[in-house]
Amino acid sequence: MRITRRFTIITATAWSANAAIARAAGAETGPENTAQIDIARAKAEGRVVIYTSLDTQLVDTIIAPFRERYGIEVTYFRAGSAEVTGKVLAEADAGRSQADMVDASDLAALLLMKERGLLRPFESAARALLPASQRDPDSTWIVDRLTQGVLQYNVAEFGAAPPQHWADLGRAGMAGRVSFWSASSGDGAPRIITLAQHLGWDVVKSIARTKPLRTVSPQTMAQIIERRERGVGLLQNDNVAWRSKLQGKGTDFLFPSEGVPSEFGACGLLKTSTRPHAAALFHEWWMSAEGQAVLSKGGKYSPRTDVAPPENSLPITKMKLLEQDYTTYKRDRAKILDQMADVFGGEWGN
Amino acid sequence: MGQLIAGSLRGQRFGPQNLVLGLAILVLLVLVAYPMLWLILGAFGVPQDLTLDNFQRAFTRAQNYSALANTLQLGFGTGLLSMAFGVSLAWAVARSDMPGRQIIHLLVALSYITPPYLTALAYIILLGPDAGLINRLLRDVFGFSLGPLNIFSMNGVIFVISIHVFAFTYFLTHSALKSIDASLEESAQMLGARRWQTTLRINLPLVAPAITGGVLLSVIDSLALFGPQAIIGMPAQIVFLPTRIYATISSYPPRWGEASALSLVLVAMTVIGLGLQRFFLERRSYVTIGGKGVRSQTIRLGGWRWALLAVCALVVAMSAAAPIGVLTLTAFSKDWIAPLSLSNLTLAHFGTALFSDQVAARGIYNSFRLAAGAAFVAMAVGASIAYLDLRTNLRGRNVLDYLAMLPLGLPGTVMAVGVLLAFIRLPIGVYGTIWILLIAYSARFIPLATRSVSATLRQIDASLEEAGRITGSSWLQSMRRIVVPMARPGLLVAFLLVFIPAFSELSATILLYTGGTETIAIAIYRLNDLGQIEVVCALAVFTIAVVLALSAMVHFLSRDRTAPSEGVG
Repeated sequence: MRITRRFTIITATAWSANAAIARAAGAETGPENTAQIDIARAKAEGRVVIYTSLDTQLVDTIIAPFRERYGIEVTYFRAGSAEVTGKVLAEADAGRSQADMVDASDLAALLLMKERGLLRPFESAARALLPASQRDPDSTWIVDRLTQGVLQYNVAEFGAAPPQHWADLGRAGMAGRVSFWSASSGDGAPRIITLAQHLGWDVVKSIARTKPLRTVSPQTMAQIIERRERGVGLLQNDNVAWRSKLQGKGTDFLFPSEGVPSEFGACGLLKTSTRPHAAALFHEWWMSAEGQAVLSKGGKYSPRTDVAPPENSLPITKMKLLEQDYTTYKRDRAKILDQMADVFGGEWGN
Repeated sequence: MGQLIAGSLRGQRFGPQNLVLGLAILVLLVLVAYPMLWLILGAFGVPQDLTLDNFQRAFTRAQNYSALANTLQLGFGTGLLSMAFGVSLAWAVARSDMPGRQIIHLLVALSYITPPYLTALAYIILLGPDAGLINRLLRDVFGFSLGPLNIFSMNGVIFVISIHVFAFTYFLTHSALKSIDASLEESAQMLGARRWQTTLRINLPLVAPAITGGVLLSVIDSLALFGPQAIIGMPAQIVFLPTRIYATISSYPPRWGEASALSLVLVAMTVIGLGLQRFFLERRSYVTIGGKGVRSQTIRLGGWRWALLAVCALVVAMSAAAPIGVLTLTAFSKDWIAPLSLSNLTLAHFGTALFSDQVAARGIYNSFRLAAGAAFVAMAVGASIAYLDLRTNLRGRNVLDYLAMLPLGLPGTVMAVGVLLAFIRLPIGVYGTIWILLIAYSARFIPLATRSVSATLRQIDASLEEAGRITGSSWLQSMRRIVVPMARPGLLVAFLLVFIPAFSELSATILLYTGGTETIAIAIYRLNDLGQIEVVCALAVFTIAVVLALSAMVHFLSRDRTAPSEGVG
């Protein structure tokens, strides 16, 4: 058979158009609330892809019973919040979205995805159990965990007199003893800016002057404090500090009386998902009392009022929380990351 | 030689050989040229725009300047240290009567095959400023209030990268020193020259091109090593170009144009380095007097040989023994912070790494299949390019050869940016699958396969193939019955030479993987982020064991391959 150039061009064009139509057709509307989820269709869809910033051990624990119950495979991409968000946006820009559901510990990221029209409204059964500030009025996102930035310290280093306030970390004697975390994509910035907004930049700048050791994640910061590379950690994830203490790694943590930043992690369903029923089913499992209890067992606070706080932990209502302004953070993120680079140096993804 | 083959290739316009070779060219264009084209287009804002803004941003932002300055400083530092370590060890092993030369030689090879991001992890355990094992020891012994050594610094990054890349300088210098005929030195000495004069006026000029070439290769490699730059540079708050490119894309919204423009800066740096390296090594052609039958002079050091052994042992202890030792120790420890004792030993972390942890188990499986796939593709393409270059008169074959060598000048991060830009928009299902990793790996390691197969083909006389053709064999038959069987050991070496680096590849993978396509390097990198250091070390030990076993196989096969020709020659 003689293959002409015209034949090749026509075939390639038809194939590309066909693929594009198939993709568009695949991204169907999907269920709008829990009642509309068709479990048989979800099972037929067979798979869910989630992009998440949650610790893999927790993700694996949540996935296992879901997979067993429904026989639906769950594949996940795990990275820091900013990286997860960057991947969702890049794929959307290229028209090659892969994820069915996204979860990030930075609500501003979900707000940006909503603004770009990437999220699909879905009314979760859990909505009624969450305060209004923790769910989108348009139902495109819902808060799935609360993380508080606490002060973690090495017990052997400080004994019975650990630093009690954030400002204590900026004292001259703390030079070379403080650690903080942020990935190169700027994941640690939201809680630092919250601290600066509530307590003033002077506190943050004085801490930066002690030359704190930067780590890429809360978990690596815990390691640094456990082995006494540094004595105290700034704005540690409460669940990581809780686990380190529980495992007897020689650390403890406290909630400074002036308040701790509380970070809303949130999840949402992608509009482009080609497996809308399986994705919605998993979303509801993730947000169910059972799914959220897994998070609680792992030290995370659930936004659901019917899920108990982590074992031996303060109820969230007893804490003084420093609230984050997510809308402002989303709008001014580039400027804020520049500020972080100015104050702390290093890479912030700006 | 080869005219008959060349002629027959020209004569048969649509023969199977043209199909095979045409396919190889097509694969090379898709794997290498197409992503590079997109890298350039991306820097100009395509497809959204056509603009110079990305270059303006790349060259005017303070963060980018700082990354560029740090990268240059890193290159300068590793160049100096590589020269210090590489030349002194090469001289000791090649020319002196120092005891244990063979072991030192093997340990240098071991430091090179150990993935540098694992060395970086090991040195955080060893040289963490306060709690690092060596710093603790120094504090205990000398009473320092704080650890005197700080890995989280520019010097720390330079040190960790140097103890990996100095192997380039070592091997090239070692080979050059071995090829100097003793008669030259003896002549000089007979004419009254002293030992130091012989070294300065005879030896040094002869090996200088090799030293320069090796140092430049070390510098080029150091610029591209994402792992240590990220693992140590990040806590040290030092940004390099590869980590800057990564952060530019992994933050949100991702800035592809700026990443592409920065990538081109990095490419320019490595291409200049490679050009210089080639220039210096080509000058070596007048150095090798003999080739075969060269007799090198061994210098007797008397009591000093023990002092020299101590220096060499210290270097290889730092580059191979200490990092691998501490990773192994941590992998077998229940609690890596607790002191070493029998009750603190466990195999549990290997169980987690190899079987329980889903990402790690998937990573091991993916790394094996990706490395095998990339090795096969690179070997097939490399063999075709080498065949075209050596056995045909095809017009433009030099261009193909250069194209096949192009990835040598492309750091993994840069290659990944090009591959992402090129394939993310294609309607075919490559993005988000294991295929995109296979493309990047194959493209990255085609130069290794091409050079390796080229060396093999040079050893097989074209007249053998011609004889087959004269007696009536078709091209395919002569390939199947003559060339491939004779080249099989060499092809296997080429396969393994690609498999080894592909198995532990990180620089490109970090930008290209997704859920389900994690590799062993990603499992190590991500689990380290999640603080699971013992599991990370178990994976590291497994990786090093695989790489070591395969390297031993390459060594065995290469020796096997060269032995008969040496006998004949």
